[in-house]
Formats: sequence, C-alpha cells, structure tokens
Amino acid sequence: MAKPQRGLSRIELLQGTLDLIVLQTLRWGPRHGYGIAQMIRASSRDVLQVDTGSLYPALHRLEKSGAIAAEWETSENRQRVRVYRLTAAGRKQLDAERSRWEQLSEAMAGIFAPPAPEAEA
Amino acid sequence: MIARWRRDHRDRELDEELHSHMRMAIEERVARGERREDAERAARREFGNLGVVKELTREMWGGGWFERLAQDVRYGVRTLRRSPAFTIVALSTLALGIGATTAMFTVVHAVLLRPLPYPRSDRLMRLAYDYPKSPFITEGGITDRQWVDTRSRYRTFTRVAAMTPGLVTLTNAGDPVRLQEASVAAGLFETLGIAPALGRTFGPDDERIGAEPVVILGDALWRERFGADSTVVGRAITLDGVRHTVLGVMPQRFAYPLDARLWRPLRIKLSPNRLQMLSVIGRLRDGATRAEAVAELDALATAERARDSVIARVTPLKDTVVGDVTRSLLVFAGAVGLVLLIACANVANLLLMRATTRRREMAVRSALGAGRRRLVRQLVTESALLWIGAGIAGAGVAMAGVRALLALAPAGRIPRHGEIGVDTVAMGFALGVSLGTGLIFGLIPAIRGTGSSVRDALAATARTMSGRDGRLRGALVVAEIALALVLLTGAALMVESFVRLRRVELGFRPAGLALLTVDLPDATYASAAAMQAAHQAVLDRLGRIPGVALASAVNFVPLGGAMVRGDIKVDGRTIPPGYLVTKPSVSPGYFRTMGIGIRLGREFTAQDASSSSPVVIVSQSVARQIWPGMNPIGQRISNKDVPGPGDWLTVVGVVDDVGQTSIDAHREPAIYQPIQQVTQTFFLGHMSFVVRAVGDPALLLPAMRRALRDVDPNQPIGSIGTMESAVSATVAEPLFQARLIGAFSVVALVLAAIGIYGVVAYSVAERTHEIGIRVALGAGRADVVRMVLRRLVVLLVPGVALGVIGALATTRVLSSLLFEIRPNDPATLIGVAVLLAAVATVAGMMPARRASRVDPLVALRTG
Repeated sequence: MAKPQRGLSRIELLQGTLDLIVLQTLRWGPRHGYGIAQMIRASSRDVLQVDTGSLYPALHRLEKSGAIAAEWETSENRQRVRVYRLTAAGRKQLDAERSRWEQLSEAMAGIFAPPAPEAEA
Repeated sequence: MIARWRRDHRDRELDEELHSHMRMAIEERVARGERREDAERAARREFGNLGVVKELTREMWGGGWFERLAQDVRYGVRTLRRSPAFTIVALSTLALGIGATTAMFTVVHAVLLRPLPYPRSDRLMRLAYDYPKSPFITEGGITDRQWVDTRSRYRTFTRVAAMTPGLVTLTNAGDPVRLQEASVAAGLFETLGIAPALGRTFGPDDERIGAEPVVILGDALWRERFGADSTVVGRAITLDGVRHTVLGVMPQRFAYPLDARLWRPLRIKLSPNRLQMLSVIGRLRDGATRAEAVAELDALATAERARDSVIARVTPLKDTVVGDVTRSLLVFAGAVGLVLLIACANVANLLLMRATTRRREMAVRSALGAGRRRLVRQLVTESALLWIGAGIAGAGVAMAGVRALLALAPAGRIPRHGEIGVDTVAMGFALGVSLGTGLIFGLIPAIRGTGSSVRDALAATARTMSGRDGRLRGALVVAEIALALVLLTGAALMVESFVRLRRVELGFRPAGLALLTVDLPDATYASAAAMQAAHQAVLDRLGRIPGVALASAVNFVPLGGAMVRGDIKVDGRTIPPGYLVTKPSVSPGYFRTMGIGIRLGREFTAQDASSSSPVVIVSQSVARQIWPGMNPIGQRISNKDVPGPGDWLTVVGVVDDVGQTSIDAHREPAIYQPIQQVTQTFFLGHMSFVVRAVGDPALLLPAMRRALRDVDPNQPIGSIGTMESAVSATVAEPLFQARLIGAFSVVALVLAAIGIYGVVAYSVAERTHEIGIRVALGAGRADVVRMVLRRLVVLLVPGVALGVIGALATTRVLSSLLFEIRPNDPATLIGVAVLLAAVATVAGMMPARRASRVDPLVALRTG
C-alpha cells in the first residue's frame, strides 16, 4: 500500500498525474508538444483534454528534472519543432509512478468492491 | 548579464515552441476541412491565454533564488505601476509614517540612547548632596566648603572635578557679547577624558586666588570671534573688562556643560556668609560600583550633616545631561509610533481590498498551476516593494523632519542637539521598520488573498466572498479608530493644558511692555553707586524716547529666569519657619509701568534714596500672612537674621502678587525694595529695564538699544524684546509639545478617516446589488443610508470603546507634562470621542449618500 500523502493539494495531485501521463505518452517515441496533447486526447477517448497552460509547464518541469530531454527538429513541412523524448531517468520515474498509480487504483477498486466477510472474531 | 541573455534566448525559444503548437493545431483543423478563420479562432480559444501559458511555463525553469526574486520584483513593479492611485496613496502614507518615526528615533537615539561623546562615558557620574530640609538649596550639588574639604579624599573615583556655570561679557573681539561660561576645577577636562585641540588645560596653579586670569576657548567661539587663528594661544582677550590669557582651545563638539562657550578656572574664596553650590562630576574607578560611591559620599558628609540633613546621590552623567527631556521625548516617540501603526493598518487595508479584487486573477493563476507559495511570495514581494520604497522616501522625510523638529523646538531645550543627525543607525532603523512592518502587514493580505479555492473564486463574484476579509478589514479600522483616539486624547490634553497655562493671571499686564536686560560687570562698575548711576542714566534716556509712557527698572523681572528668594524677620511677630518670599528691587514707577495693582499706601518715589530711611513694599499675600486683619503700613521687617537698629525696613505700600518665577507656579509672595537703597553690587549688576509703550512696544526696541549704547558702548545687551514674547518664551516648550502631538494626532485622525471611508465605501460597492434590490422593493433613501451607517456604527462603537480604555491606560504618562488638568479628564475624553465619531460619520456619510442614490436598474444589471 502506498504511503498516504498528507498535505497534498489538489493541484499537485493533478500535476503528478499529468507527469505520469506525459511520460507514458513519450514511451512510444519522441514527440512535440502538440503531438503529445493530441495523443493524450486520442488515447483517453477525448476524456482528458490537457490545456496548454498545464502541458507546457509540465514538459518544462520534466525537462528540468531530467526525466525528458528536448531538441529542435525540422518537421516534414520544414518547420522547426521542439521534440521531447524520454530519458533513462524518465523511464525509471515512469515505472515508479506507474506502480504507485496501479497500487492506488487497486486500492480504490478495493474500496469500491463489496466488503469481504470478516476474518476474525 | 549572461543569465539575462540565456533567459532571453529561452524566452524566444518558448515563444517559437508555443507558436508552432498553435500552427499545427490550425493546420490540422484546416486539413479536417474547417475554414481558415474558423480554424484559427477555434485553435486560439483552445490554446487559452498565450501570455499566461508562457508565464506559467517560465516559472518551471526555476533558476536561482535571485533570479526568481528578480522576476517577482519585475512583476511587482509592473503591477504597482498599473494602479498608480493605489501605489501613490500607499507609498505616501507609509513614507510619512516611517519618516516621522525615523525622525523621532534619530532625536531619541542621539539624545537618550547614544553614549555621551567621552571615552568610557558610562563611568562618568555626577556627585551631589540633596538638602531636603533646606529652604534655600532647591537643587542638589556640592557646596564649595565641602568640595574644598573632600576633593582629594574620594577613593571610588579616579578623578573628580567641580564646575559652576555663569555668564561673562567678551569685548574687544567684535561686538560686545554676553557668553555662557563655566568656572571649572583643574582636572575637569581630564575627568571627561578630552584633551584640548590647542594649548593646555588648567593646572592646580590656575586655581589660586590672585593668579593670572586665564581662559580656554570653545571651538565655536574660537571660529566666530578669532577666525580659527591658531596663534590665539598666549594672546589676551577681555572678559568682563579684565584681560585674560588664552591657554587653549577645546576641540569641536566638546560641550560640557552643554552651552558653555569658554572656561575659566574655578577660584574658590570660602566665606562664612555665603555658600556656593558646585556641580561635581567624577570618573568611577574600575571595579567600583555606584552603591560604593554613594556610601563614600555619605561617609564624607559628616561636616555637612552637622549643619543640615543631607542625602548623597551619584547619578550617571548622561541622565543628568538629558534629564528632563527624557519623558517628553519618549512621549513623542510613542505618539509617532501610533501614527506609524495607523499608517500601516491603512495600507494593509488597501492591500486587502486589492487582494479581494484580484482574487479571480489569483484563482485563475493557481488553477493554471501556480503554487500558493508562489502567489503568496509574489504578493509579499509587492508589499515589500511598497514598504522599501516608502522606507527610502521615509528617510528623506526623516531628514526634513529632524531639521524641522530642531528648528521648531524651543531654543536650548534639546540637550546634545549638536550630536543629532540622520546617520547610518537612523537609516538602518528606517529600513528595519519598513521591512518589519512590511512583512507583518503585507503577509496578512497575501495569505488572505490566495487562500480561496478555485471553484469558489471562479463561481462567485467579489460580492459574495468578502465576509472573512470584511471582518479583518473592520478589525483593522477598529484598531485605527482606537489608536487615533488615544493620540487625540493626548493632544487634546496638551492643548487644554497649554490654554490653561496661557490663561493664568500673571498679576501684571505684559501687553505694551518692552524689556531690556543687562549684566553690569563688577570689574567696570566697582560700586553700588556706580551701578545706580548707570541705571539712572539708562532710565533717563529711555524716558525721553518718543512713544515711551513709563520707564522703570527691576533687578529680577518676573519670568526672567532668575529670582532671589529668602526669609524675613518681622518686628514684633514670629512667622512660620520656612516662610520664603521673593525679593526684587525696583525703581520708582515700577508698579505703574508693569501694571501691578497698588492696594494700599504708595509706590516708591525718588525721595526713597540711599540717604533716606529704608522702605519696603510687600505683596498682598505677605500682608495677609504676617499681619492678618491689620494695617501693614508702618510695620517693620528685615532681611537680616539678627537685625540691628538700621536694618529695619518700613512698609509703605501693599501691591498685588505676581507670578515671579514661572507661569505655572502659583503667584508668589514678594517684598520689594527701592534699588537706590540696595548696597550690594550682587543685587544690582543684573538689571532689567521695563518700558510701557504708547503704541507697539516692538517699535521701541532699536531706540532702547541706542539708549544703552549711549550710556556704555561696551555693555552688551543680555536680552531685549517685548514682554509678551518673553512670556511666550516661558511657555514655548509646552506649546511645542502641544503642537507636535497635535500634528501627530491630526495625521492619525486623517488616516483613520481615510480608513473608515475606504471600508464603508467598499462595503457599499460590494452591496450595490443588494441595495438595488432593496430600493426596487421599496426601501427609501433613509433606509439605505441607515443600512450603510449601521456598518459604520459596528466599526465606531468598539473602536471608540477600545480607544477610551487605551487612553485611560496610557495618558497617565503625560501627567508630568500637564498643567492643571488630569490625564483622565472626562470632559476631554468625551470631547475627543465625539470629535472622532463626528469625523468618522462624515467619512462614512459620503459613501452612504452615494449608496442612497443607487439606481436599482443599473445595480441589478451590473451586479
């Protein structure tokens, strides 16, 4: 069971989740910001729409922490775009956060599941 | 520089990145078949505010704390510039508060806190005996007899030195001038630890009676009168008509006693009939305590104790130097501190209101990812900018303030004023005060302004969310009202006290009188006859000046700062022991000139000459005290303890009592003798000439100067002016105190009024919608005004109640500064509370009237 995080504000919780989503998206290969937004939207079947005011701060925060790296590339229609890719550290962070997330969702599932019969008297 | 360049580069890259995002979004929409304009509009809407996104992203770059601070400061300056009205009001309010506080601190620091400018000055003590039972010795000191007996016997002091202040006339060095001097024992300068800038100090030989007259000059006198000439040492100068050799010059800023311009050796000639009181200072030996010094002084007082009861005292020199201004300075400092608190409360209130209106901005920014700490930091930076700006402006205010304070303070009443200046300590104080108050008063609105949840802030309008802040703002205004009330009460007490002081019946009519005082030196006027001849010559010339109705002379003029007091013997009657009377000597016509009423008998005439039988005029209280129910005319009194046949004075008249020594002392009993019958030069040298003018007495002053110069061109004028200005001078200090506290309290009142206005106006603005509904439902104007005023009453009642409690608790410190009024005078308190309530009502009425004119249609539409 994950250690309960005390004093976490809602924003920070969202931030953490967004980081996880971004890292997960980059797992399938380098991508620019717009591409990441589109992919999140598509893979969540339009449920999650990351606005740019959250996405870019998240990208730059992850870049600063070393989880992802960025470089300028020229796109097929010959425009300069900034492309992000996962680093080794990012991969590790992704694994860690994913297992935390899974634990959390398991726990949530447990909470919503019908109560198990009491084992002890 | 490099950091800046790198940042600019990154800024450009971020810009490019975000634009490429936007472009791709548009391209994709176009590719899906949307029209280009629609695609652009949709993409832009989806993207959100480009500036905000950039700002939020930039925040992630972090950087060093310095960079973040620089960023906050830049942003803060920008926000402050965007609302100039707020910034100017807040800045000037704070600058005034901080400036006034710093100015007062500068004075307090220089006068009270900073050590005296002598090496190890904390070891310097004043040695004195108090004579609690003696009617003659009112101020403690050490008698010349005691000094001569014991000066070499102190063990707890490494050095002791005596001095006595005086006045001396300098001639043959520019215009004749009367100067403050001190006669000092050898070793005084060494006791203080100050060496002369030129020449040498006094040695034991200089104290010998009959030794060559010598003098040491003060720096200022040396510059003014001797052109800072270093060859002055060894030259002769003329003091009181006697040639004195200059031994040395003291360094700049040396001032002991405070107003001495030059020093002569103390030459003591003991006399069984006269006592001289000396001021003695000593340097406490290392390891010796004050208590040991007191014990030693006590043990050395055996001879004195045989004559009188004595109490030994050893007081730090600094306390005796700053002495009686301590209380009023601390009162001023307290008052100015209250003003600062009110100013800060006002600005905190402004910040709170601003924070409320900016709450949506804060909520949006926090929804977009800015942490609360970040927002608080931003708001605190903004406040800090305000306070630091105000601190810098306040330092300027302080410099002007200190100058104004010193200029307005009555001359000579602020000790050590030469040492007062806005220095680094004062600057540090200004900065510390601004930072301290800025942090406290800036942090509250910042925390309050950012705490609300996003959904609340976005869903609600400003109208519905100010309950909590409203209470805090209300509390601040309540505090302001209470503080202003305390200050106003203090000011009202001082003003009332001053008015009562001015209303005191002096017993003479100062209007229309002009006054010229001289000190005839014994050296020039060797005998009483010579002095009396000079007096008569001056009086004759004064009487001939056109516009002079009457001219007369008195040796110790009422309120003139000097007075002779003594006991009397009465022929055939005993009087209560310790009964003292003042003893001025006057010329014929004095009582008519002064406007002092003659109750019985006659005034002195030219017939009361030295050769005729000695006469005296007594004041009414003397007559009542000594001859109750009897006719005092023809009775005899004497100044001598054991009067011989020729020592009796016959009473020829009774006059009104006069306030002799000060305006606030009660009118004192007096006996008057004709100056022609006075034989000791001691009672004749100091003489005031009083003239009653037909018109404006000020116009006579030049002619009066000429009259004196005609008689003796070398005789300097001690003082000259109208009697009314002389009377005003005696109340200059209470006037100054009343004015200063009055000024502070007016500022406090204005600030409190602004605070009340702000809070009420804001509550009206918040409730425009509600007011609109009420008006639409039929509420009349009066109802609306009543509703708004209820908000005012909620502030006013606790504010005034707290203020009254505060005033009752604190105005006690004023009691020693007040004349004939008690610090808890109920009429004053009620008056002040009513005044404050009136001002508050006016301040609150303005928004109330505006509220009553609310158009329900407009209010409902815009609310």
